[in-house]
Amino acid sequence: MKTETKILGTILIITLVLFLGGIYFLSKTSTTNPTKETKVLQIDYSKGQKIGSDSAKVKLVEFSDFQCPACLAAEPVVRAIRDSNLQVQLIYRHFPLPQHSHGKQAANLAEAAGEQGKFWQMHDALFETQSQWSALPDATAFFNDLVKQLGLDETKVKTSLEKGTFNSKIADDIAEGQTLGVNSTPTFFINGQKLNLQSFDDLNTVINEELKK
Amino acid sequence: MKSLITNRLIFVFSLLGLGVSAFLLYEYSLSGPVVCPLGGGCDLVRSSPYSHFLGISLPILGIIFYLTMGILSIARSQKMTDKILLILELLISIIGVSFGIYLTYLEAFVIKAYCFWCVLSFIISIVILALVFTSSKVHENRD
Repeated sequence: MKTETKILGTILIITLVLFLGGIYFLSKTSTTNPTKETKVLQIDYSKGQKIGSDSAKVKLVEFSDFQCPACLAAEPVVRAIRDSNLQVQLIYRHFPLPQHSHGKQAANLAEAAGEQGKFWQMHDALFETQSQWSALPDATAFFNDLVKQLGLDETKVKTSLEKGTFNSKIADDIAEGQTLGVNSTPTFFINGQKLNLQSFDDLNTVINEELKK
Repeated sequence: MKSLITNRLIFVFSLLGLGVSAFLLYEYSLSGPVVCPLGGGCDLVRSSPYSHFLGISLPILGIIFYLTMGILSIARSQKMTDKILLILELLISIIGVSFGIYLTYLEAFVIKAYCFWCVLSFIISIVILALVFTSSKVHENRD
């Protein structure tokens, strides 16, 4: 065997062992953040779309984006909490990510529906149809159909969207989210404490713990 | 002499590709819920159904690809003039780059998010193909 072959072969084996060993070592020792951060942050509870009583024992704030697939993935668990009779108030805050081209438009649409008392219906419709409108170059026609389906006053919605009535509200949500350290969606806060969920089911566990307090 | 250097370069780039794929494998193996990071695309790409091909996660396919290229270049260092080894290198790197084109197309037009490490791996595979191609030219000239 040539020396070159021997050297290259040795280098390959060493590299392989280093890489695979490295992966094994890193994935073993990677420190996971606690599910619930200890620091209690001041959140402006006067803002956001709410479901559940203001006096509820647990306030669950979700910073979310209608075009985010991960937010869609969290939906079943969040919906179950919303539909339960637990002492939980769910507060939806907008955090449309810049890489999602229709995220802001969807947020505006939901707020426009909210003006007519149908925020949550639009919220649900947007998530249910996310895969249909996300890929469209222009989602306006699709969103108009949703407005019709929900029986909203089309002219009113159109005027609000054209005037950009809710732009500042959405910008406020994003700004507060950034202050609170939101850098991905969905991000949840339970009574002011940021959650680092390993799975969305953990949300139920954290809520139950909080309710027992 | 020239083919010796080209072969060494193929080996080095295979190692680089191996590193990138290994890092991606590490990223994939991290637990935690899927989130959409601010401005980022990796998680989106990871969470898409395209992160697996025939049930095998893409970083593993990447590792197999670069490992094969690495082994082939070692085999060639033993017998530089072996035509079969060269044809194998050419064939496998063409398959690798074609697959990379398909994946980058998916990122650009279907998932609409890019993952830095995936794109880097694609670039490395193009470099390897170019090197193998140069190496085959040298081979032809010598014939």
